Formats: sequence, structure tokens, C-alpha cells
Amino acid sequence: MKKILIANRGEIAVRVIRACRDMGIATVAIYSECDRAALHVRLADEAWPVGPSAPRESYLRIDAIIEVAKKSGADGVHPGYGFLAENEDFAAACRAAGLVFIGPSPEAITLMGSKTAARQAAIKAGVPVVPGTEEPLSEQTSDADVLAVAGRIGYPLMLKAVAGGGGKGMRMVPSPADLPSALRAARSEAQSAFGDGAIYLERRILAPRHIEVQLLGDHYGTVLPFVERECSIQRRHQKVVEESPSLAVSPDLRRRLTSAAAAVARTVGYTNAGTIEFLLDTDGAFYFLEMNTRLQVEHPVTEMVTGVDLVQWQIRIARGERLDLDPESLLTPKAHAIECRIYAEDPDRGFLPSPGRIQGLRVPQGPGVRDDSGAYEGGEVPIFYDPMISKLITWGETRDHAIARMKRALAEYEVRGIRTTIPFFKWLLDDEDFKAARFDTTFIDRKMGAPGAGPLQIVDAAHEELAVVAAAVHLFTRSSAVVATSAPPVSVWKQTGRIEALR
Amino acid sequence: MTFEIAAGNHVHTVTVVRKGTLLQVAVGGRTMVVDARRVGDLALSLLVVPDGASEPVRSVDVALAAQRTAGDFDVHLAGLTIPVQVRQAGGFGRPKKGSAAPGTGPQRIAAPMPGKIVRVLVSAGDEVKARQGLVVVEAMKMENELRAARDGRVREVSVVEGQSVDAGALLLVVE
Repeated sequence: MKKILIANRGEIAVRVIRACRDMGIATVAIYSECDRAALHVRLADEAWPVGPSAPRESYLRIDAIIEVAKKSGADGVHPGYGFLAENEDFAAACRAAGLVFIGPSPEAITLMGSKTAARQAAIKAGVPVVPGTEEPLSEQTSDADVLAVAGRIGYPLMLKAVAGGGGKGMRMVPSPADLPSALRAARSEAQSAFGDGAIYLERRILAPRHIEVQLLGDHYGTVLPFVERECSIQRRHQKVVEESPSLAVSPDLRRRLTSAAAAVARTVGYTNAGTIEFLLDTDGAFYFLEMNTRLQVEHPVTEMVTGVDLVQWQIRIARGERLDLDPESLLTPKAHAIECRIYAEDPDRGFLPSPGRIQGLRVPQGPGVRDDSGAYEGGEVPIFYDPMISKLITWGETRDHAIARMKRALAEYEVRGIRTTIPFFKWLLDDEDFKAARFDTTFIDRKMGAPGAGPLQIVDAAHEELAVVAAAVHLFTRSSAVVATSAPPVSVWKQTGRIEALR
Repeated sequence: MTFEIAAGNHVHTVTVVRKGTLLQVAVGGRTMVVDARRVGDLALSLLVVPDGASEPVRSVDVALAAQRTAGDFDVHLAGLTIPVQVRQAGGFGRPKKGSAAPGTGPQRIAAPMPGKIVRVLVSAGDEVKARQGLVVVEAMKMENELRAARDGRVREVSVVEGQSVDAGALLLVVE
């Protein structure tokens, strides 16, 4: 493979470009109208327009993207995550055009992309699943029929889009009375996000932890699982903090979880990178939740604790190399890594999106810090796409060490002009329950909805006064600078001449 | 030069005077000496010495971001983001006597961000309860439901489903 087209934007496109550079492979970026000056365009070797800003008209346009791949002479396509990453038609279109799709086969995407078919695959592999509907409920299914099915599963339950992912098209339903409105919302969100309004129901485990297993599979039957990631810190069912390893997973549980994950992948003949998600109940029982047939947002935490470059391995597997990593070392975490997803959202205004121009940016640096970002100073965060602008990852010898480094890095991180979720993470990292890893997937919603929960960022009188002084000094020195430059400037040439004359 | 600067719930009066290469800043009845160096268009390094104090010199790294309204800034320092509003002396005026107490009067529901109207859940004339959903705005792939702050009646709806709106656009009025 000599040249790879990256069918994505933002931080993940930048991440893939970097892996290609490391391997000496040329890169082709694609961009929508509003992304002309985006970082992935600036960093790639080539960049081609694919349409207007709305995703449907650009990053989701299979025909336009395949055409660019052909014209540019690319021989491989990396889909990143989101957009077309789990679209079997795209994977099939790449294959038909003679391009190597850097991911699983279209058949595996189809199978595991249907949540109901994936559940059946897990059952076949002997892995427990959460009780729920085995068949999808189409958009035409009446409320009364859905209510009847729901009654058999029991409340509270989860309503999920069959084609879903990333928390979209997902609703918690506490009682029958809440079902009709949740159904309407989930279907509409699923229809607009995935073009498929079909949903299914699942019993809700009350205080589960979200534990997932990354794996790689090559084309010669080798499937290797990695040490688990914990992603229980979620808001609106979206992961916001991920770490590896999980404090809730003992070496024995790790062995059982990773074997179960590998069994599911082998059952479906899975190749390339994928992730099996589990719910871990308070009694230690775990259930298969779903499989993500792509690279995950949170893949860097696994890279940090195993030293493996997952994107590079995706490319190596796609070009037919054998997966010859040491299985034991992949299950043995080297210390601890943690990731915070920085979103362009205002946490003190109900996490409302905060798109706009980044007027200033200071990125944290130093030992144990990695920032995977698509942002730059002067760049725009458009309204059309996911508001995640960066992933901040820290590595430490222990979990406490990784958290301390994360706090240091967040204090250095400055994003000016738009609001971000950085204050939210500062609040979270100081929480006693978080520090002790006492949490489940309901943690954030419970803590933030708790009575007496104040604003995330508390500004004391001394800092308020400093801010006021800083603003005044800024305006004062700016106006006096104008006065100063109106004085006749001393010519550098004259000065140099005088110095020369003194020689 | 004197500024009136609002931050949090207070309006501070700040006077800045040049003293050689340093600045003398008076705020809240106290004076401090500030050594200011510009480290970017909107960034400053400040060394702050409280007047007459033997406290160590405090290093404050500051960056500002101008907001939509002239004179409004986000001040970034010590890992905090602090919004301030700067006005020339007297710019904030005095609070009007007899002005409406907060929590009464019509609620003007405006778009908090640019986006698309996905659903309008009420019509003009409808009675609404506090926290009832009024309109759903989609931005950055998430649907955000805007709700009524108090009980009332919808006076007007200014948008239709499918319409794109800018930040701050008036969507509907509840009285």
C-alpha cells in the first residue's frame, strides 16, 4: 500500500495521517466546504473536496469519496470512526473499486452492525447477553405492540437503535408511561443519524460498569484481545472518560472477559480492529453489549498501556501481514492510562454546543501527556459535526499518577474563544468517588443531578479580582502601546551605522 | 485610566496608572504594583506585588478571548475561565427603580447556538407548564430541547420546523 485515502475529518483523520507518515505511506484527505482549512487538510499530502458542509452531502457520499480515491491513485481507504466507518455499503464499494478497505469485511460489518444479529452471534459463542428482544422492532411497529414486548422484558429498560452507536437513538425507559415519548425521540434520532428508525429493547442493568475489550484479527485466523478499557464515565450515554486497566477487573476476570471477546470475534471470522463491549454487574457477572466494527475513539489508552500502534496494525493487517504480537504482553498493562474527551460544549450551560473560532490555544505538554486533536489556533469548530475537538490522554505509573498528570495537563490546556468541557473534567478529577474508582455508568448523571450540585467551576473572590485586573491591564497597555508607537521611531539603519562608525 | 468591570455578581472599579516600566492598579480600595509583559495579541504575563506587602511576587499567566459584544471577554487564568464585561466609568449606570423583578415578564426563548429547528412542540395560544418542552433545536448532531422556565401562555412562535437559525435568534415568546 503506497497511498491511503482517509474518509474522515477532525482528530481521527489527523491520527491516521500520522500513522501513515510513520510508515512512509502517502495520504489523501477529503474535505467538505467548511473544512477547507481544517487541520487534516493541512497535514495531508493531498486534499480533495467532496461536497457541501452537511455530512450527508460530503463525508457520507460514498460515490464522491470512491471517485476521489480513484482519481488520486490511492490504493487503500481508512474510514476512521463515525461517518462511513461501519457502513457495509462503503466497505463493499471500496472492494468493488479495487481499493483495500482498512477495516473488517462488509459481511462482518453487516452482521455485527445489527445489534440483534450481534446478540445472536454472542449467544452462539457461549457469551451471556442482557435479556431483551432478539428481533428488531421496525418503525411501523405500533406503540401497543412495543408496550407488550416491553412488558415481557420488564422495567426499567433501554430502548436502542438497531443501527445505533455513540448514544444516539438511545433512551432509558423507567415505566410504561414513559415509553411512547422515548420511542418517538429514539426513532427520530436514529432515523436522522443512521437513516434507520428500527429499535430494540433491553433490560436495564441498574448499576453496570462499561468494560470493553479491544481486539485485532488478521486474515490467517489469529484473533488477539487486549487488556480491557473501562468507559463507565458517560454523559447522555456518551463516553467522556476512558481508562485502562479497570480497577474493577481482577486478573481472573480479565482472562474470562478477553477470552469471551475473542470467542465472539472468532465466531464471526472477524478481521482488523474491533471492540467488544460488556456490561459488568455489581455481582461480577458480565454481559455482551455490542461489537464496534471499527477503530474506537478511545484506542489511545490501549496504545499507552501496551505500546502497540493500533492504526499501524490496522494497515499492516489490511495489506496481508500476520499478527505476530506477543499475546501475553497485550494482556499485561504497563501502568495506567486515562483519556478525557474535550468537547466544544459549555458544561455550565447544560453542555450546549459551543461552536466558533478558536481565538487562542495552548496545548499541554510534558511527561506522560498525549493530545490527539484536530484543533488549532485560528481554526473553526463547525456546527455540522460532532463537537469533540481533542482527546487528552495521560500515562502514569499508577492510576493516581495518571490522574495527577491529567489535572496538570488540564490546568495547562487553554482553549479561548469557545467554551469546552475542560472545567467538567477538573470537577470530575477532584471527586472522591471518581478518585477511588467507585462508579458505574450512571455516575455522571447522578452526581450532576444531585441536589445542591453547584456550578462546575467555582471562582473565588481573589481570582475574580485578578481577572478584573488582567482585563484592565490588557486594555490599558493596548491603548498606551498605540501612543508609544506614535513617537518617532529610531531607524535601525542609523543605529547600525553609528555602531559601525565606532569601530 | 479608570474602568468599570463586571465579573461574577460584582462591578469593580479599576484604575490603572503607569509608574515607569510598572503599572499601579487600584481595585477594591487596595493598590497593587503590576509588571506586565505582552506575550501575545491577547496574552499577558503579569507579576503582581500587593502594595506594601512582603508577600512573594505572584506570577499570573493571562489570556483573553473577545466575545461577541464589544468589551466582553473571557479571561483565562490559573486554569479558570472567567467572563468579564468592561465599560468606561459609569457605563453600567444605576439599577432602575421599579424595574421588573426577575422571574416575571415574558420569556423570550432564543436559540442558544446556531442550528436547525427539528420540532416545534407548541403553538401560539397554548398554555404551558414550567419545564415543558417548547422547541427542539439540533446542533452538532445532538437534539436539544428548550423548555419553559415558568407556567405561561405562548404568545408567538417565530420559527417553523426545518428552519436554520443563528445563535440568539428569537424562537418564541411565552407570557
